[in-house]
Amino acid sequence: MPSAPRANRSRVVLIVLVIVCVAVVTLYVRESDQGPLHKIQDVFLDIVSPISSGFAKLLRPIKDGFINLFHLPTLSRENAELRREVADLKRKQAGAQELEAEVEELKELLNWSGENPEMENVGADIIGQSPDNWQRLMIVNAGSSSGVKKYMSVVTREGLLVGRIISVGSRSSVVQLITDSRSGVGARNQRSRETGVVEGRNERVTRFVPMSDEADMKVGDIVETSGLGGTCPPDIPMGTISKIEKREKGFTRMIEVEPYVEFSKLDKVLVIIMPEPESVILKEAQ
Amino acid sequence: MSRKRQVFVAGALALAFLLQIAVLPQFKLLGVQPDLLLVVAAVVAIQDGPLEGAVTGFCGGMLQDMVSPLVMGVGTLTKMVAAYLAGALKGFFVTYSILLPVLLVFLASMAEPVMHQAVLIMLGQEKLPPFQVSVIFASALYNVLVVFVVYPLMGRFSFPGKDESFGLLKAGGG
Repeated sequence: MPSAPRANRSRVVLIVLVIVCVAVVTLYVRESDQGPLHKIQDVFLDIVSPISSGFAKLLRPIKDGFINLFHLPTLSRENAELRREVADLKRKQAGAQELEAEVEELKELLNWSGENPEMENVGADIIGQSPDNWQRLMIVNAGSSSGVKKYMSVVTREGLLVGRIISVGSRSSVVQLITDSRSGVGARNQRSRETGVVEGRNERVTRFVPMSDEADMKVGDIVETSGLGGTCPPDIPMGTISKIEKREKGFTRMIEVEPYVEFSKLDKVLVIIMPEPESVILKEAQ
Repeated sequence: MSRKRQVFVAGALALAFLLQIAVLPQFKLLGVQPDLLLVVAAVVAIQDGPLEGAVTGFCGGMLQDMVSPLVMGVGTLTKMVAAYLAGALKGFFVTYSILLPVLLVFLASMAEPVMHQAVLIMLGQEKLPPFQVSVIFASALYNVLVVFVVYPLMGRFSFPGKDESFGLLKAGGG
């Protein structure tokens, strides 16, 4: 049995800790993104990132070995599928090149100048991931010193959408993946041009919520960013529609989108540098 | 808790945090990863007492909240309470079986996310993380597996003080 003074001390320490927690929660909820607690988070991220980065590099061979071990049984099948896909893509590429030339010709004829500036980007290594089961996050080793700002989009080296920046330190940032349950990205069906929002569900697949309930959607359609909202550039591929579940009358359809990105295998990403992504969101909110 | 033990627990917590963000996400089973910070805090609560566990849970939760965009302080509070409960419940049992820490860590792992969600609801958060019982259960089971490694390992470095009994054998946890 604990002695009386010790029990009293325990009680006092516990009460103090609970008060500290309540104070931190209250301050955090009330302050803006530029508040002191948010700043502390950013500074902490910068302190942890080099250690985490070293740790991640040190353990990468083990991680790769683990992933390979799990994928060993499906490797030969995957290889055959990829070969078929490459052949198919080569055929499509030839057709696309022809179309591209045709489009350029037509643009010249129409004297049309589209807004399509080359996007600037910053490369970053993934040095950490979400510490819990309730969020889908990644920590990358690029921050405000590299020009990274909140709400900038993050893509793979192949240009596939990974997520967006939600917290920025000077040398590191937190990326919210498109599969996170709090993520919503303006999207459109590449074929039918129907727009909507791709929402994360903390699962491997995401959900497409079209603007119109009667939207033309088919399994296999490619979903890309729409650019609506202003923070994410348009035409970034996100994934393909893998399942459309019809619901009873009065309920919206469940349209599942399987992201192209295999998040568990990612080790490097690119942050798309945009002028002022945060100001766009703030303007919209006002 | 002796000074050496305090240093050891601080080191264990820092290592657990790094493993939690850099390594464990790669070792997901059934889509979930263990909560190593909670396991360490609960084990400290069982081996050293509920107050020590609560302080460890507070520090572990704070570390986790620092890299989480959810409300800072909520994880700190829930980890602290969960660890304290594990340590307090230990006082009701007199057994040296490994099954006791297994049971207590399981209970703490089930309670912590429930408390976390409840606090976020009370704060009126608009976009809550999905509350999936299957994820909570799978994560609790995973934590239990981790206990078989963490519990003996942390018990080995108990560094008892002059007037303290060996942490592992303290039935009352105080």
